[in-house]
Amino acid sequence: MNLRKHLLEAATLIVAAVLCALVSNAIASRERKLALVGSYPNAQKVPEESAAPGPTASPSPATETASATVAVQPETTAPLTMTIAPVTQTVVSTTTAPPKAAAPRTAATPTAPTATAPPPAPAATAKSTPADLTKRFPPHPDKAYVEIAYADADALHNAGALFLDARRTSVYEQGHIAGARPFSVWESDIDDKVRKLFDERSDVATQALPIVVYCSGGECEDSHMLAQKLWGIEFNNVYVYRDGFPDWQKRGGAVHTGQTP
Amino acid sequence: MKRLTESLTHPWLTIRVQLALGIFFVVAALPKIVDPPSFAHMVYNYRILPGALVNLMGLTMPWVELLCGLALILGIWTGTARTLIGAMLVTFIIAISINLARGNAIDCGCFDPTPVPKTRVERLQDMQFVVLRDLGMLLMVGQLWWAERVLSPES
Repeated sequence: MNLRKHLLEAATLIVAAVLCALVSNAIASRERKLALVGSYPNAQKVPEESAAPGPTASPSPATETASATVAVQPETTAPLTMTIAPVTQTVVSTTTAPPKAAAPRTAATPTAPTATAPPPAPAATAKSTPADLTKRFPPHPDKAYVEIAYADADALHNAGALFLDARRTSVYEQGHIAGARPFSVWESDIDDKVRKLFDERSDVATQALPIVVYCSGGECEDSHMLAQKLWGIEFNNVYVYRDGFPDWQKRGGAVHTGQTP
Repeated sequence: MKRLTESLTHPWLTIRVQLALGIFFVVAALPKIVDPPSFAHMVYNYRILPGALVNLMGLTMPWVELLCGLALILGIWTGTARTLIGAMLVTFIIAISINLARGNAIDCGCFDPTPVPKTRVERLQDMQFVVLRDLGMLLMVGQLWWAERVLSPES
């Protein structure tokens, strides 16, 4: 009898907690709202131990921390300094020109939209056209992303590549890479933002333009998670700025504060 | 021995332990309720739950903590709240111990879900401390249970 009473009380407490959670989430602001069912493919995959422990908020320069990468520093026009093959999904598209509005490559990613709105003209400096950009940073449809260091991030920034900030919006507002858009993977509207970006870049040519994603560097994985989402929706040319915003700030890159890019 | 039992199960001590435990859980719950995405990130970092359950856990766990803490403070359904808190503490201890064993240095996220810049070694040391702290809180739960058994054996 007593056990039954305890079970009833426990069930009541848990149900009340679930209801409170659902209501509070329903009325929460966009930045504090969570999608009820998360989509995190690596949720049970333990990250590899870092050989050289260090503070996560102030990582050392890219060339010193790229322990899991192949360091290649050519003096030629090819600017990639490091690459990895981080693909964890089993389904891999190997076409260099994915069909418009093709199905996503993972079930966890949002459904590819069919909008045909004309893509915006990519921003570019006088020295770099979109064709130059894709030539220097070619698409890599077999990899979700390629990790880059500051030099490449800076080159892409100067060339007008799209930068996406995967950190929380509240952190973004305190300072972000100039021109970057807020794309926090932990906020409920991330799938909408990814879909909207796909609408903006609905043709193959603009999908092949480089996109740079970053977070806080160090052990931060948010940029990698965002890159996986973008790759899943047919963006084939995503770069993860591994050392992220702290490195960018330390090296004197252009920074902007506030809600706007 | 009888004197020790009387001291450890004395209502004066029991009510203070109950209030302290309740306050701990209310204080721990509030920052997580205010910022569910940050807490969901902490849950994710434990690398134990399937991806689909991370957000649900991040949303509901703090509310369970809050309601159980309030129940202990207000003296409502104290037996059930104590049992649920004990179950949560055991879960936390196991979750942190698993990550300690596999060398996954994480922030506990127990009282503040905001990530703090720390070295890996610092994080591992903090995790050891958290296990000890939770064991201490589990002792508090044990004291409440023992006191109730002594005061009302039929329960």
